[in-house]
Amino acid sequence: MSAYTEGIICVLCINAIAVMGVSLVTGYTGIFSLGHAGYMAIGAYTAAILTARYSFYFIPAIVAGGLLAALIAYIIGVPTLKLVGDYYAIASIGLGEAIRLILENGGTFTRGARGFPGIPNYTNLTVAVCSFVIMAFLMFNLINGRFGRAFKACRDDYIAASLLGYNTAKYRILSLVISGFYCGVAGALLGGFLLYIKPLMFDMMKSTELTSVVVFGGLGSMSGTLLGMVIITLITEVFRPISQYRMLIYGAILVIIMVLRPEGIMGQYEFGPGMFKAIKEKFKGDHYSEEGRKV
Amino acid sequence: MAKKSNQNVLQLENLTKYFGGVPAVNDISFSIEEGKLAGLIGPNGAGKTTIFNLITGVYPPDSGKILFWGEDITYLKTYQAIGRNMARTFQNLRLFPHSTALENVMVALQQHHSYSFIEAITHLGGWGKKEREIKAKSMDILDRVGLADRANQKARTLPYGMQRRLEIARALALEPKFLFLDEPAAGMNPEEVNALNTLILGIHKELKFTILVIEHHMDLVMEICSHIICMNFGTKIAEGNPMEIQSHPEVLKAYLGE
Amino acid sequence: MPVFNIERGESLGILIQQIINGLSLGSVYALIAVGYSLVYSILMFSNFAHGGFLVIGGYICYFVLKDMGAGILIAGFLSLLGAGAAAILTERLAYKPIREKTNNTLYLLIASMGMSIVIENIFVVTIGGRFRALPDIIPTTPIHLSGMATISAFDLISLLAAVVFLSILQLILVKTKWGLAIRAAAYNLRIASLMGVNVNLLISLTFFIAGTLASVGGIFLAVRYTLYPQLGGITIKAFVAAVIGGLGSLPGAVVGSIILGLAEMLTAGFISSQLRDLVVFFFLVITLLVRPQGLFGKDVGEKV
Repeated sequence: MSAYTEGIICVLCINAIAVMGVSLVTGYTGIFSLGHAGYMAIGAYTAAILTARYSFYFIPAIVAGGLLAALIAYIIGVPTLKLVGDYYAIASIGLGEAIRLILENGGTFTRGARGFPGIPNYTNLTVAVCSFVIMAFLMFNLINGRFGRAFKACRDDYIAASLLGYNTAKYRILSLVISGFYCGVAGALLGGFLLYIKPLMFDMMKSTELTSVVVFGGLGSMSGTLLGMVIITLITEVFRPISQYRMLIYGAILVIIMVLRPEGIMGQYEFGPGMFKAIKEKFKGDHYSEEGRKV
Repeated sequence: MAKKSNQNVLQLENLTKYFGGVPAVNDISFSIEEGKLAGLIGPNGAGKTTIFNLITGVYPPDSGKILFWGEDITYLKTYQAIGRNMARTFQNLRLFPHSTALENVMVALQQHHSYSFIEAITHLGGWGKKEREIKAKSMDILDRVGLADRANQKARTLPYGMQRRLEIARALALEPKFLFLDEPAAGMNPEEVNALNTLILGIHKELKFTILVIEHHMDLVMEICSHIICMNFGTKIAEGNPMEIQSHPEVLKAYLGE
Repeated sequence: MPVFNIERGESLGILIQQIINGLSLGSVYALIAVGYSLVYSILMFSNFAHGGFLVIGGYICYFVLKDMGAGILIAGFLSLLGAGAAAILTERLAYKPIREKTNNTLYLLIASMGMSIVIENIFVVTIGGRFRALPDIIPTTPIHLSGMATISAFDLISLLAAVVFLSILQLILVKTKWGLAIRAAAYNLRIASLMGVNVNLLISLTFFIAGTLASVGGIFLAVRYTLYPQLGGITIKAFVAAVIGGLGSLPGAVVGSIILGLAEMLTAGFISSQLRDLVVFFFLVITLLVRPQGLFGKDVGEKV
């Protein structure tokens, strides 16, 4: 396998872990975030500092990166996710920017805006693929069970969910913490792959990319998110020559999907036998539109 | 014959709630005995749903007290109140529209058939057994309300009457001891109302829990309830058995006008 | 101790200077935050494309001044009109189809993020990302305050402009029929529509107002920091101001903006200008921890 192909596969695996985290929080739990690149930055810098400066073995360093990102997610989530409204969305922008500013002004500890070089090369093909497989296994298990159903209930109607005995704030915070962990791990892997990180890599544009992939793939579909991520990563590779149009295309895709098909390319379906059953179900039986019902 | 005095499951004491200076519920007191099928009636805007919202902790009362099995639950949050083994349905349906009928029931039923986070992410330990149990019990409940053959249909594509029954199924899945039904017959045709009557009576008889049903169709309430509370403009105007209510002058005035 | 006295006098001068500076910056934030809050109060979503309106207004002003040689009044008028029209267009193209289909505001939020990226990058790919300085349209002559402090005429003018435009908005909201309709819609959009208000027209009007206010803010920001496609990113601070004041509350947006402007300028003057952005997010975190519904926010809840 050529080094280029290996590189692409590593990038796909790292991106996959990050977007699974965002998919959980935005697609499954309905929390819009514009700061998840911030969690990646925390993971990346934690792992970089632990491995490069304190000679940690990479596995505990990656886990520590994920855990610290999860902790920050918890601290931000507790006050904002108890509220109804766009509080988390705005706080997430603030968080992303604040993390960047702190890293840029961190002196010798974070090495400032010029970036952090000399990270050991711990993310090879095996590590990237194994991390992806483990994280995907855990994520798909999580959403196929009581937590997946609870997250979706909180997303679709938080009042109905609380009247089924759910402490909705608790579930939203849990979802955010897990997604913070995923993005932290992805960031840590990214550092070990690029060997160099700088604060500007984790700006709001990066956060927007993560969210747009999730929207493109399908809000509420984990496999759709992964499919969307593969498509967008590969398209980005193909269109590298006209990269100045990249963000314009991203933005336009977001708007067009919301207008035409807000549920994304996969809708809320997951790949598997259930998907075909559900599609079959859709084409038979009565159809009563939501709007048509008597209130 | 000496009748054993039943325990009051639910007891409201001088409950009052204002919305912007207007009393929606004004100094209401009543109690419901264990095992009763009681009705709360009154014209539109009488404050019936507000009472449900106060009991289930959607908002707190301005004054007064709510006792449930003798425990003061006046200021509990919604999920805490529901955790005391009560369940309710909504006047305006609040199903999870994108989930299937089965999932709608499972998400309620899993509250009492839980497993740990570790089991959830690894699918080890009790996961398989519990999931099968949740699914089987949910199917039983769907069967009871006559929706077993619609289990895999998305909730929002179900006909209206079925959506109403799915809400009842979801409430039953919480395995409550006290069920609050908020206008379960709203928007139904007479046939559907009849089927609903049978369903409610069946549930009450078999599962033996206490039910309080809001309705402004007098017929339904008169037919199935043994104890009725009538409200108008936020105050209680009458309380008693169907016979007493039907002939109560205040009730007649409220329903027929002057 | 003469040295001490001089230092004291100087720091008092800096204090006055930074307060005026902060009020001026805060008033520009207020112009942006009020429009954003107005839209939020009616459609209940954060319009992230709001920063785009400000950039559009700024560029219209720039090109009218530069290429058409017009005066500031004409340029300003056209830029207000253009940004207002762009806001209406954004709503019609991106939000209206969504809000007619669903009442999930998450979709609107994502679409607005998309529109914000689109607007910003249209400027990047067409006219490039370089920084452009507006011609000297607003005097920046220093004014000496009895020898204690020196402030810029620009600060006073931007403060004055904000007061004028916000007063006009207040008049519209209180005195006109449409203002009443907007206030009713902010209370409950569905009920307003049941009362016979033409909701689509009302929403367009709201976006127009938001666009014009953003444009005024955009012109002043462009004079202060020069003009570039990413200038709209500064709206984040206006969003933060709106959260501090209480999402959806117009007086809250104004008060929050003034607080932020003062905090930023006082930090820049007395601590370090590198920390002024961090102070903004510090205020955001404190607000969310201590009083998350904001200074003027009402309790967040929903009808059952």
